[in-house]
Amino acid sequence: MRAEARILSFFSPALLLVLWEVLARAGLVDIRVFSSPSRILETFLPVLFSGELLYHTWVSVRRIILGFLAGAIPGVLLGLSMGLFPLVRAALEPMVAITFPIPKLAVMPMIILIFGLGEASKVFTVAIGVFYLVLINTMSGVLNIDKIYLDVAKNFGASRWNFYRTVALPGALPMIFAGLKLGMGTALILIVAAELTAAQAGLGDWIWRAYDMFDIERMFTSLIMLTVLGYLFANALDLLERWVIPWKSPHA
Amino acid sequence: MQPNGEAIVLTGISKTFTGRSGTVVALEDINLTIQEGEFLCIVGPSGCGKTTLLRILAGLEKPTSGQVEIRVREPGKPVNSMVFQEQSIFPWYTVKENVAYGLAMRGVSRARREEIAEHYLKITGLSKFANAYPHQLSGGMKQRVSVARAFANDPSILLMDEPFGSLDEQTRVILQQELLRIWEGTRKTAVFITHSIDEALGLGDRVLVMTARPGRVKAVLEVDLPRPRDLTLIRSRPRFLELFDTIWFYLREEVMKAKASELQG
Repeated sequence: MRAEARILSFFSPALLLVLWEVLARAGLVDIRVFSSPSRILETFLPVLFSGELLYHTWVSVRRIILGFLAGAIPGVLLGLSMGLFPLVRAALEPMVAITFPIPKLAVMPMIILIFGLGEASKVFTVAIGVFYLVLINTMSGVLNIDKIYLDVAKNFGASRWNFYRTVALPGALPMIFAGLKLGMGTALILIVAAELTAAQAGLGDWIWRAYDMFDIERMFTSLIMLTVLGYLFANALDLLERWVIPWKSPHA
Repeated sequence: MQPNGEAIVLTGISKTFTGRSGTVVALEDINLTIQEGEFLCIVGPSGCGKTTLLRILAGLEKPTSGQVEIRVREPGKPVNSMVFQEQSIFPWYTVKENVAYGLAMRGVSRARREEIAEHYLKITGLSKFANAYPHQLSGGMKQRVSVARAFANDPSILLMDEPFGSLDEQTRVILQQELLRIWEGTRKTAVFITHSIDEALGLGDRVLVMTARPGRVKAVLEVDLPRPRDLTLIRSRPRFLELFDTIWFYLREEVMKAKASELQG
């Protein structure tokens, strides 16, 4: 990026914050609804340093990670099988195609009925959202592997297990990561939604309680943490991708 | 290796493909015996089923009718390894891992694998790139890796499908020389597909000319040129030119036929 572009990318959000502050002080935006950057910061720092906000963040992070793993691991395994074996695909694809478009939030009441109000229902809600995205991407990742590599594996005597290990998995990895990244975005949406309705802690619950007390600044502190989480998770996945897919050409 | 046994015997091989646009007869009644330790080159107009024939030899395709008998059975060795026409080395493995792929699939120990892979990297001039990934290599180097992978696997039969077809002239000649040198050191049974008469005569002990589709055996010629060969010198030998003319005579007929049916179709 050119230097001017980089400066612009830094200053345009900063400018927006300044503008917001000025308008709030001038009384041109209603601070009862929109608050102002300085008021939010005033609330944010104490709850951050007291550890209160970090505790709730940790509760959400734990649910996201557990749900993410619980969704991604079966998603990858089943996606590989569906990609590799036409019979498995024929058996499962209709069910996936029919259930995938159902908004995951629509089944949340049912998830709560099944899993109760505890951790399991939150983790499951996240898992189910991640599962579909990873499954579908993994499957199409395998289906898009150039057929020549399957011929090579066959010609060089790869066993079924080695088909998975040396062709299907590495060949599908770029698409698997695309699925994981999409899944991470969905996981953040779902965890907040799940915590808004029925939770004892977590960032969604924090927002809901702040809303109950009409404490706008407190609501914003949770949004700040969610932004930070989104950024950190995206970067963590990028790092992981670079580590797991070292062969990816930099210009691809 | 017991000399001059029969390595491969094909009897009445036919192959038809059925697609949406109808049935295509790719191969028709191919009868062929390939001797152990022989280098056989197959030439033919494009679309004549050369690749299909090779894929049948490799066991990647089943003939519609006829019999494939692979008679060489060397215990502990894979029956065949193929060098594919297109880019076929795994982008997710390093050059060395690619070369050692067949060995890994056969459960050869890591230490032994390294040793063999390094040997073949050395003779194909790839040692410096052992730990590079394919996207860092040129097209010629990728094909070298593919050749090294097949040789490192130490099969009874080597199958090569226009391995140098997509390379520029200089690279092709260099790789042909290298292939010849490596092959003359091992004398493995080899089947090599090409559309270049030059290449077929330079490398082969015999040249099989195929007909236009459906592919049949048009002629088989003995290449009675001495080995070891130097590809640049061999071209000026009178016998080379004579053979070239003969093959071109057969091939031109078939190419014309293929063109004519293309125009009709």
